[in-house]
Amino acid sequence: MNIRALIQKIKSSFNHHEEIPNEAVLGFLRVLESVREEDAPCDEIYARIDEYVEREVDKKDAAQLMPLIREHLDMCSECCEEYQALLDVLEKTSQDEK
Amino acid sequence: MGVLDALEHEQLESHSRSPGFKSLCAHNNEPLGSLFVLTFLSYIVTRRYNSTNMLTRSNEAWVSDLGTSGPAREAALEDLRAIVQKGLPYALSRWLSPDQPQFNSLVEEVTQETLLRVLDQLSTFEGRSQFTTWVHKIAVRIALTELRRKRWRDSSLDELTENEELPPPPGLLADPQAGPETSAERADMLARVRRIIEEELTDRQRQALILLGVQDMPMEDAARRLKTNRNALYKLLHDARLRLKRRLSMEDITPNEVLTLFEQK
Ligand SMILES: [Zn+2]
Repeated sequence: MNIRALIQKIKSSFNHHEEIPNEAVLGFLRVLESVREEDAPCDEIYARIDEYVEREVDKKDAAQLMPLIREHLDMCSECCEEYQALLDVLEKTSQDEK
Repeated sequence: MGVLDALEHEQLESHSRSPGFKSLCAHNNEPLGSLFVLTFLSYIVTRRYNSTNMLTRSNEAWVSDLGTSGPAREAALEDLRAIVQKGLPYALSRWLSPDQPQFNSLVEEVTQETLLRVLDQLSTFEGRSQFTTWVHKIAVRIALTELRRKRWRDSSLDELTENEELPPPPGLLADPQAGPETSAERADMLARVRRIIEEELTDRQRQALILLGVQDMPMEDAARRLKTNRNALYKLLHDARLRLKRRLSMEDITPNEVLTLFEQK
């Protein structure tokens, strides 16, 4: 047993923590394939998401133009929910105006 | 008389006090006089049209109207209220249907809160998008924050007991359709991955994973629970994912390989 594992074992015997359910382990693995080293924080996405969605509605090329935002949206469910909702608003209100 | 009318009336009066206007009025039947009156009337009509037609307000006009005090601001706020209320049902469409009882009050509350936040954050608008898109974005954030809290409250009422005991792990290993070898393989793989998680993740990262991935707590609330903010929480998870990814690749395991094992029957 290496030192690290030993320390971990001692630590966990002192500090009994909750078991992570299998589903959550798999859920965590599900996003790992698309993790990149570089990632912007949620605030930066929020600051640019209006611009991103407008571009998506107009030209459909936001993902090519701003790939870091697209990658974050793939990783972060809450930013993605907000993106989707804003996209719905812009698409539907622009249809209403036509 | 509305505020806007009062303003125009005042301008009309100041015009009539100016000597130029007087001389024109004195020759009321002259074509030039009629032309002036016509021009002036069309000026009033254009003004009124612009103030009610939200499409014609530029980003700069929105910011300056909302940034002043008085009638221009009132008119801009009214227009903005209508724009937010028109957009919200679309934003909520994946969450709530308009015939649900809480729909109207939610739209009303979110609209009110959005207008307050827009006024508060006006100086942070950078003009990267249409002003109205920026406003819709604020409304979406407010509405979804509220809905996520509700979703979490509702689900945690069912799932969590007072001491926050977790629901029992789903019976992935006891899949009746899987053959004995697959089950053994799964158990083995899961044990390996669990050991790796155990060794790689800090207590804080594991706590974040449990709050978000198991309890489905909204990020804002999980961040507060961990005495941090949403950005830092996202970073914490991102680092956890990167550590895990590196370690798995050191051990020659790809995430897909694990997932495939569990998805096959
Ligand atoms: Zn995010």
